Amino acid sequence: MPSEVDTAPLVGRADLVTTVRSVLLDDVTQGKTAAVFLTGESGVGKTRLLREVAGRLRDAGALVLTGSCLDIGDASPLHPLLQALRRLDAELTGAQPRTSSAVRGLLRMFAEETAAPDGAGALLERVSQGLHLIAEGRPLVLVLDDLQWVDRSTRQLLLYLLAGLGDLQLSVLAAVRAESLQGAHPLRRVLTELRRLRTVRVLDLAPLDRAGTDRLAAAVVGRPLAGEAAELVWQRSGGNPFVVEELARDLRDGRDGLSDTLREIFLARVDALPRHAHTVVHAVATGVEPVGHWLLAQVVRLPEDEVIGAVRSAVAHRLLVSADDGYRLRHRLVAEVLEHELLPAERAALHRRYAEALTAAPAELHQARLAHHWRLAGEPARALPAATAAAREAERLHGWAEAHRHWSVALQLAAAPGVAAPDVDRVTLLRHAAEAAHHCGEHARALTLLEELAAADAGPSACALHIRRARYLAAAGRSAPAEAEYQRALEAADCTPRERATAAAHLAELLLHLGRYADAGRRAREALELAAGVAGSTSEVVLASAALGFSEAYLEDPDTGLAVMRRAVETAERAGRPEDVACAYLHLAELLTGPLNVLEAGVVVARRGAERVAELGLGRTYETRLLAIATNGLFRVGQWAEAEKVVAAALRHRPSGADAVELLLARCRLSVGYGDVEAADRDLDAVATMLAGGGARHVIPLLTLRAGLAMWQGRHDLARQAVQRGLTESRSDDVGILAALVWHGLRAEAEAHAGRAVAVDPTALRRLREVADRVARKSEHAARPVRDVVDGFLALCAAEVSRLESNDPELWARAVAQWDRRHHPYPAAYSRLRQAEALLARRSRSATAAKLLRQAYEVAQGLGAVPLTSEIRTLAGRARVSLEDRPATGGPATGADGDELAALTAREREVLAAVAEGLTNREIGQRLFISERTIGVHVSHIFDKLQVRTRVQASAIFLRNRRD
Amino acid sequence: MTQPVWGPVHRDVVDLLADHPADVPAVVDHLAKLQDLLVRLPPLEASCPLADFNRLYLTITESVLNGLYDDRFADPVFLSRLDVEFAARYFDAMRLWTDSSPGTPKAWACLFARMRGPDARPLPSAAAGVNAHINFDLPFALVTTFDSLESEPVDGTDQHRDYLEINKIFADKIPGLRRGYLERWQLLIDMLNGDIDDWYQGELVEYTRDVAWRNAQKIWRCRHDPAAHECERARLDDTAAALGRLLLSPLGAFLQ
Repeated sequence: MPSEVDTAPLVGRADLVTTVRSVLLDDVTQGKTAAVFLTGESGVGKTRLLREVAGRLRDAGALVLTGSCLDIGDASPLHPLLQALRRLDAELTGAQPRTSSAVRGLLRMFAEETAAPDGAGALLERVSQGLHLIAEGRPLVLVLDDLQWVDRSTRQLLLYLLAGLGDLQLSVLAAVRAESLQGAHPLRRVLTELRRLRTVRVLDLAPLDRAGTDRLAAAVVGRPLAGEAAELVWQRSGGNPFVVEELARDLRDGRDGLSDTLREIFLARVDALPRHAHTVVHAVATGVEPVGHWLLAQVVRLPEDEVIGAVRSAVAHRLLVSADDGYRLRHRLVAEVLEHELLPAERAALHRRYAEALTAAPAELHQARLAHHWRLAGEPARALPAATAAAREAERLHGWAEAHRHWSVALQLAAAPGVAAPDVDRVTLLRHAAEAAHHCGEHARALTLLEELAAADAGPSACALHIRRARYLAAAGRSAPAEAEYQRALEAADCTPRERATAAAHLAELLLHLGRYADAGRRAREALELAAGVAGSTSEVVLASAALGFSEAYLEDPDTGLAVMRRAVETAERAGRPEDVACAYLHLAELLTGPLNVLEAGVVVARRGAERVAELGLGRTYETRLLAIATNGLFRVGQWAEAEKVVAAALRHRPSGADAVELLLARCRLSVGYGDVEAADRDLDAVATMLAGGGARHVIPLLTLRAGLAMWQGRHDLARQAVQRGLTESRSDDVGILAALVWHGLRAEAEAHAGRAVAVDPTALRRLREVADRVARKSEHAARPVRDVVDGFLALCAAEVSRLESNDPELWARAVAQWDRRHHPYPAAYSRLRQAEALLARRSRSATAAKLLRQAYEVAQGLGAVPLTSEIRTLAGRARVSLEDRPATGGPATGADGDELAALTAREREVLAAVAEGLTNREIGQRLFISERTIGVHVSHIFDKLQVRTRVQASAIFLRNRRD
Repeated sequence: MTQPVWGPVHRDVVDLLADHPADVPAVVDHLAKLQDLLVRLPPLEASCPLADFNRLYLTITESVLNGLYDDRFADPVFLSRLDVEFAARYFDAMRLWTDSSPGTPKAWACLFARMRGPDARPLPSAAAGVNAHINFDLPFALVTTFDSLESEPVDGTDQHRDYLEINKIFADKIPGLRRGYLERWQLLIDMLNGDIDDWYQGELVEYTRDVAWRNAQKIWRCRHDPAAHECERARLDDTAAALGRLLLSPLGAFLQ
């Protein structure tokens, strides 16, 4: 059967097709991602364009997966992807057995997925692995229509893949109905953030212009339209190609003058349909598209050949299209026209027939569709079990938002008159609905459901309810009522010892976050006492110990706190529950690298913990988190090469969500330090992609890094913009993070002043100074560890401000002292450079300046901090300070003991060793788990330091100096 | 074809609108550039009704920006995103109008249509813009913001308090819409019947901003239901458009 009677040519979109093709295929470099989002009103030709581009990409050798999102609000998680995979499976005809088995493998994975902690993240990883197998090295293109109806899980999958976390070369082409974006659609915010990225294009599909309209109309009619007719088509269509086509067709077929609006066009056609075709069209409009042939036949209750005849006729009248997987209405606009043409009773009857037919034959979206049809058929009792099953199905795929909607529908159904289903327990429904709402962030709804649960007869105990309510309130960020609820739980008469320990431990944690350290410590001790008397309460011990450890650290008794936390690790190890062990290590590492600032020890704990939790099977979650802590610690103590290795190892788990963001930021921090602009930019874009889906907490670190990178590029204006955005989006109580941001802002102004390429912005400067003052005031009352961090940055701030005026070397000396005291070599080296600069500008104490420069140079060289090194070199050159002047250790190329390599960092030696083996940059990158690009940077530094031009020369020096 | 929508500054407006500001400083910058263009729009130039609104909106957004820098709000993340999302809807409406799209919200279309005259008094013009922006755009901006922050419109929260804090900024900047004109407003409302009466019971901005918050809560509850959501959108658009047309009618001049 033909899918369309005849198809008009694609008019006026040639440039767009070319653009989209090049964005999605030609311009995408190996291993990268790209996306095009097409927005436009209904009928403007989005679907048509998707088809056209998909065809071209397929011809060019890409593997194209196409799916569409559904508007039954209670669809299933990841539906468009599953649909795309099934379609691909059906298209593969045995000619490509490998792809086919990869597709089936991935589909099977979905079928076998079970709910588990971190299931959602692990699922993302498995999906990307599955797609990797399917792609077999071909570029992969995911084409999604009707993205305005996308489910939350698919949205997160898209961001995950586009951020490059799936390690997959992937392009996304999606169409979004512009009308939907006008309301409160979540995609609006996502697109606002994504459209700023270099790899993403949001293209608005405008209606055709007059010339395009005339061309399309002429193509449909077969000859150019006369002036009056052409004018009519233009006036009535406003250039909307769908309308142009239909109007032109009516004109051609002599039905002109009838129809002023699309509605009338289609109504006229529906009226003209033969009886059976009429039935078929309404049946498809009531179903969930695509409606399979067998299903349609059962619903319309006609003999086979009559169904086929009716479908043919509906297709000929351009109301229906037919594809391998079933029938659809020709356009969404048709559905809107038909919506008002059925009596409610007729519609209910159709839904009933769908439900009956589907009951007998399980298919795609089985339970969700059953629930949908039974509900609209007015049969709540029969819809209820289906809704419950659909909710469980959604939970299995970690789609809490969809699950919540199904549970809510189930609750409504259960409340309908006449539903006396003894097997469905309202309390159970409420419990599930509340928990699903809590997981998908519908906090108010979760709390409301909890109230209903409290009012129910066979509900949970008062204490259990208080604890749950407190948990929901805390998740909603409503700390004060959450605290009160924990109190009530502790006071409740029916509180078991276990519950009491739980409530006290969580309360301690909450108080810690509120900065009430003394209260937190008191509650934590209470929790530890309570837990001591309850077997199996290790989780509570770990949680309470962490709260106690941190509160003591803040209250200046760090040793006690540390001892408690170390004991908690032992307790957890003895009890042996993996999550408890992992949490204990995590808290201990955070305590050491955070408030205690014992970085080396913290890094050791984090790495040991990472190994341990990997053994326990928690690699993806806790190992990545522990490695992120290790990376940040290593960065700060100045072991960058090591940090780079650790972060690469962590990213091999393909983490998702906040874990992934932490690691990408950590890697980006290294790239900014190394001056590897491309790698840093890529990570910044990846983080921005992830944050487009939510996660305000990481925005400020992202902007701080963006500012830092912009400054190395001399783009002080961009740095200023990033800092300004950060200042308007940060809470003033995050003093540590804010202080780092303000320093970046002041440094940008100071460097603008020094460089003269960008003018200093006096308003920005005034504001930065005000914020710095505010941070200083607020940190006066903060705990010692917080104040320590802030003081380091405030010292830098004061010195940068002075750089705009007198540039007082003493202020830089203070910054040096602060960072030396905290053992952070990188900012200390930066401060030394500036102190030397200030001294030299005063033409005083040039010996001190030279010494400072040499110290800074040695550190910067050791780190591999290229931009800082080159600034030091430039200043040294201007001041005629010799940086290499260390006669005691001997000059280059003299000793026999590898001295020619003395100038290389540990990482550079590793790279050089690999170069000498004859590996390419890509091969070296794979071996050392860093990007090819970074290897290129290392190699050029090596050449620079060894003063050679070729790999052969470098290899020769390496081999000559090898100690073996 | 007839002359372009934005007359001699068409190209400039289109270029400006091609950019989508993503933070509050960028929004302020955008509004300032727009102001420069709007006052060059013939025939009304400096007294262009849209320029009257844009001028006021720029002033208010600058105050919000200063408030953010001055640590005036409890949850700046929420407020800055809301501000950006809010402004985006105004720019969206202008973009749709530029394309002569039938999708232009009616609430805005009635003000845009008056750019070519006849002249309206500055106060009712600005008020018509405020009306479209608050009564129609704001509830949706609120819902999108809460959704992206994985939070919710709950009374008595930090976000709610910050939201109400904006009322003070409006109050500072639009004294004309406050007490001095209250009696006249009341008189005007008395001449009307039905719906609009609900919209005005106290001071315009505070009241409508409260209505916007309630409407946001309403939309929040039906945000997953496209049909109900669309229905709500149409309702708000119609009501705001009715009030907007009234403000721009000769009756509106009575306000000033």
